[in-house]
Amino acid sequence: MIISKQSPISISRRMLWFTGIICALVIVIGPVYLLLKYSVSDINSINTGGNPVPMWPYNPTLQAYVYLFSDSHFYQVLLNSVVISLFTIALGMILGIPASYVLGRYKLPGRKVLLLMIISVRLFPDIASVIPVVEFFIKIGMHQTYLGVILAHTLLALPYIIFIGAGAFESIPDDLEGQAIILGANRFQTFFKLLFPLAMPGLAAAAIYTFLLSWDEFIFSYFLMLGKQEIYTLTLYLNGIKYAEPQNLLAAISVCLSIPVIAFSFMVQKYMVAGISAGSVK
Amino acid sequence: MADVVIRSLFKKYGNHRVIENLNLEIHDGEFVTLLGPSGCGKTTLLRMIAGLEPIDNGELFINGKLYNHIPPQKRSLAMVFQSYALFPHMTVRKNICFGMKIKKLSKSEMDRKFEWVINLLRLKELENRLPREISGGQRQRVALARSLVLDPEVLLLDEPLSNLDAALRETASEELKRIHRQLGKTIIYVTHNQVEAMTMSERIALFRFGRIEQYDKPRVLYDSPATVFSAEFIGSPKMNFYEGEIEIRNNVAGIKTDLAFLKLDKEREKTIFSMPGRKILAGIRPQTVYYTGHLLRRRYTDTEVEILAELVENMGDRSLVVGRTEAGTLIRFIITREEKIDQDKRMKIFIDGRRIHVFDPITQLNIFR
Repeated sequence: MIISKQSPISISRRMLWFTGIICALVIVIGPVYLLLKYSVSDINSINTGGNPVPMWPYNPTLQAYVYLFSDSHFYQVLLNSVVISLFTIALGMILGIPASYVLGRYKLPGRKVLLLMIISVRLFPDIASVIPVVEFFIKIGMHQTYLGVILAHTLLALPYIIFIGAGAFESIPDDLEGQAIILGANRFQTFFKLLFPLAMPGLAAAAIYTFLLSWDEFIFSYFLMLGKQEIYTLTLYLNGIKYAEPQNLLAAISVCLSIPVIAFSFMVQKYMVAGISAGSVK
Repeated sequence: MADVVIRSLFKKYGNHRVIENLNLEIHDGEFVTLLGPSGCGKTTLLRMIAGLEPIDNGELFINGKLYNHIPPQKRSLAMVFQSYALFPHMTVRKNICFGMKIKKLSKSEMDRKFEWVINLLRLKELENRLPREISGGQRQRVALARSLVLDPEVLLLDEPLSNLDAALRETASEELKRIHRQLGKTIIYVTHNQVEAMTMSERIALFRFGRIEQYDKPRVLYDSPATVFSAEFIGSPKMNFYEGEIEIRNNVAGIKTDLAFLKLDKEREKTIFSMPGRKILAGIRPQTVYYTGHLLRRRYTDTEVEILAELVENMGDRSLVVGRTEAGTLIRFIITREEKIDQDKRMKIFIDGRRIHVFDPITQLNIFR
């Protein structure tokens, strides 16, 4: 909104807005800043022996990162995390998009109940469902494998993908599909040229969510990978050194955990255009 | 180009009968309007012709070919939705070319048709805009263009003007008429707006509860409505209705109502002379009532009524007067701007007996049709 007239009301309103925005920024940026600060601080600035912890990085140093990137296991773990989360997204989308298309676009009897049942899979706490799932995975020999972890993460993400996706497909006006059909498009053409692009914002949100989920999933990964360090993900790596003294190292790992998520969100964000269907009907 | 024939068509949603035993014939190149209040089944019929709704029972022929089971993609007709249904992620050009791309037309032919249609519908310089970046009127034209480039045999229009403001609606309706004249396509047009239907179409099919009440030229619908519903629906302001019965006074047959003893023209007077006592519903259009200012135009078939002008509504070029007789019966009529009437004034008005519509109150049918 552009406020063109500088009336007293608009100025005080603007002040209010600015204050609100600044508060929001502090809440959002604050912890991230602390994390970044710790990760580049000298270890002495954290263990101050009772003195107040400085607000700014004390003796800025990249020592923690240098240490981290000299550890070959860390590279391996980083790569594992990337591979596992990308495959989880791919598998989740391949399975989730057709399901959400059908549940979102077709007036099937019992559709609502089915959706509810799908989402209710996630009503159990992970810690409760992990034992039977892992036991099953062990039985079919899938524990301690990439595929096993990917499947487990997909299992966790799929209900959300279907739920978000079905909502995205459902929100597309019926007239658009009817029009495409009258213009000669068959089901596939209608899907690929019309419905899929229009469901993109919702699907992108689902993809971001899936990435986040897989990237910092701990419980299933822990039970499935325990004892096989080569396939550890970042969360397990962090777990392994959580009692280590150098907090700046922990902070550095956390930064490394956060950056890809932020980067991925920014990449996918451009598909999440608000009001993509504006101007289509009415 | 093609003719459309519909024979004893039925459609049900659950237990609700949307369309019941419907018959309709539309000639090649004709502009036909399906008119009716909302929920009367007119849009459903259009969607059935388009193939978006299955036909429960009955037959649909286009160009003499049975269309019942031809999938919508293969029907050579186009439809403009009430919502326009523009594809929001595609530019105007891509929207218009969508159907041609699906039909795999050659690039040169596509360009030629695109040029033709953007000239026809004045869409130049909009081709790279997205639907959300153009106005309502332009969206309506894009939707029309997208249909026309496919050269459909029948063009289906579902209330294409209802989302436009009044001024734009007039322009757009003129444009539609121009296009119909220019291209000579069969057009089936759905609307609930009787003015649109009257001004645009060659024939009007008036719908009520999934059946066709009357199917005729606009003038005929106006001049001799077949049923009470037709008489009520067509024309603005609404027709006045009076219950009454046929009576003979001084050897002249007329209709005795609360308003007055209504006289008819000679021909119809002769007919009703043989049915005294019959119950009648008489309809009088506000436009067929005259004020004293027109004394010179009086005829022997005019009925004189004395009223009090209770309300005068100025409509610019004319005024609507609501009058009340001594006995309390209301009548609404139109006067021209020259005939000034003051509110709360007593006056005499004259009802044109030649244009009183006479219905049977039980069958609701026009007795003289």
